[in-house]
Amino acid sequence: MKSLTRGHLKAGLDSVRGAKMRNFWTMLGIIIGVTSVITVVSIGEGVKQQVNGQVHHLGKDLITVQPAELNPKTSFSSDSIGSLAGLRITGSLSQRDVDVVTTTKGVALTAPLSAVTGTVHGDKGNYNNGLIMGTTADLSNLLNQSMAYGVFLSDDDIGQNVAVLGSQAAKALFDVDVPLGHSFTFHGQTFIVHGIFNDFSDTPLSAEDDFNNAIFIPYDVSESLTNNTAPTYQILARPNNPAQAKLVATSITNGISKVHGGNHDFSVLQQNQNVANSSGIVNLLTRLIAGVAAISLLVGGVGIMNVMLVSVAERMHEIGIRKAVGATDRQILSQFMIEASTLSLTGGVIGVILAYIIEFFLRAYTDLQPIITWQIVLLATGVSLAVGIIFGTIPAVKAARKAPIEALRSE
Amino acid sequence: MPIIQLEDVSKLYGFGDATTLALDEVNLTIEKGEFVAVMGPSGCGKSTLMNVIGLLDRPSHGNYQLENKNASRLRPNQAAKIRRDTVGFIFQSYNLLPRLTVLENVALPLTYKGVTLTRRLKLASQMLERVGIQDREYFYPNQLSGGQTQCAAIARALVNNPKLIIADEPTGNLDSASSRLIMELLADIHKMGNTILFVTHNPELTRYATRVVYMHDGSIIHDERTELGKVATRARKVLYTLPEKTSEEDDLAGVSALMKGVPDKAAPSRKPRKTTKKRTKKAASSKTSRKAAS
Repeated sequence: MKSLTRGHLKAGLDSVRGAKMRNFWTMLGIIIGVTSVITVVSIGEGVKQQVNGQVHHLGKDLITVQPAELNPKTSFSSDSIGSLAGLRITGSLSQRDVDVVTTTKGVALTAPLSAVTGTVHGDKGNYNNGLIMGTTADLSNLLNQSMAYGVFLSDDDIGQNVAVLGSQAAKALFDVDVPLGHSFTFHGQTFIVHGIFNDFSDTPLSAEDDFNNAIFIPYDVSESLTNNTAPTYQILARPNNPAQAKLVATSITNGISKVHGGNHDFSVLQQNQNVANSSGIVNLLTRLIAGVAAISLLVGGVGIMNVMLVSVAERMHEIGIRKAVGATDRQILSQFMIEASTLSLTGGVIGVILAYIIEFFLRAYTDLQPIITWQIVLLATGVSLAVGIIFGTIPAVKAARKAPIEALRSE
Repeated sequence: MPIIQLEDVSKLYGFGDATTLALDEVNLTIEKGEFVAVMGPSGCGKSTLMNVIGLLDRPSHGNYQLENKNASRLRPNQAAKIRRDTVGFIFQSYNLLPRLTVLENVALPLTYKGVTLTRRLKLASQMLERVGIQDREYFYPNQLSGGQTQCAAIARALVNNPKLIIADEPTGNLDSASSRLIMELLADIHKMGNTILFVTHNPELTRYATRVVYMHDGSIIHDERTELGKVATRARKVLYTLPEKTSEEDDLAGVSALMKGVPDKAAPSRKPRKTTKKRTKKAASSKTSRKAAS
């Protein structure tokens, strides 16, 4: 029986080999289908993983307090703040709110982020690219970000002119590799570099501002530099117990609301809410596009069916000969089924290879980081095989059912 | 022991007005080891008879026994298995698969039997040696001469050791030298004990046969045994001298039970021809039964 199957396999492969060009056009539908399914799903998967990676990095229990009334047309705009897209601020958060969050029951760590405008003068000249942010000692723990060199701001640094740099900012300001102890001027004051962050793998908190370009200074220094006009655009907090994040978020909301006289001009977000929303959308989009791609697979299947039908008609005489020498209906059926599945499986494999090539170019030339998982490869190949079997059935049955004498007579 | 027994076997093609009667209640018994030549003008039903006997086609009516087993109402798969194991076909147009080599073509019936690849090719090679074209094993059919191609087709027919070989005008496309070669080959096979049926238009080739059957309009009109090496001389006479006597009785009883199944519209045009056929058929069947008895 085994050798029998091999015989059919050979017969099937022989006829596939026989008509190369026609078979290529047949497979094209499947190839396009498989390639697009894999590419689309892998891009979706990549985006999802980036989003998830962020959450993982920050921790799902991170609570963010932001001013809520975001007005894009606000006149409050300067070079550095202008880059905070979506974070134009009405300036509703202040030191008082920071204190409220810090003293809320169940909060373990708190760090405000204030943005200071102005130009930095370093060894290499002026530096305008990055944010200058006032913050406190807890920030590095809140972001789970480690230091490359030196240490982060500590409670001892309150009121001191010290700074911690993002890796890109460090390169832009100084000639030396490790500018620990070097200094730059900002608002006429000299700041000494205390530490340099490792590269931020992604952009926490908002997609637009890159913390690798940022300079961090103590919160109270930022306040004093700007006579308390530096807008606090975020307060980050982490609860003692991750499970209580929601509860803590509620008490923070109540606390700030009390201070603000009942105005809800701020919002308290939990990180996992953000993520749930965005990955939900990504999932939905991925499914939508994958659905469209699946239709092209289906169309490819119909193409295979057509070619098989033509092939059956063309080879009726051959079927007759095979039947005359003793092939049973089942044997003819399996020959044509194997032929159809070989076609579609070959198409599927070529599609997978093409998808990998496309993935390579996407990674090389775009910001997308598509991830091809083995599940989707298996699925796409499996579906293409299934398409071949399903759409190969009708022509194969047609071939097998033909009466031997009729098949022999047709030329 | 008879290998083939046909009783009142008829074959109809088409429907309604277009109905044609390819075999008209044929009775034929062929013993094991006979070498039968079937002769007759084109369209007389020779090929249909071969196809029915070879289980490529099913009779519309009547009873057919192959090796004493009823073979008139087989399911397609059973028929395929019997074709594979018991019957070897040789066609006028060779019918080799053009995309396979000669060796693979010959091995094809073994493929469907489930013989392993190496054994298949070995058996096929032996068979090609027997028909004398082993040196053409890896040629494709279109690279061979007509005679060689037919030799390959014979090898394919023989590879399963079938008891019955059916050759439908095996020499129809060949020159006389190749024809002789093919017929000698068939004669050799006959000597090994196989039963062979072959269709031919060439009276010379009845030399090889032990029995000659003449057909006309779907009926067997004459059936004679001949000695090996002698041409059946009655061939032409019987073919062209149709019986002249017409009996009133036959005319009245002319519409056979079979024709009742044909819609009325067809009947008037068919009736006159039908009556003559009936006569010839009766004559033939009486002869057949006499032969079978003897």
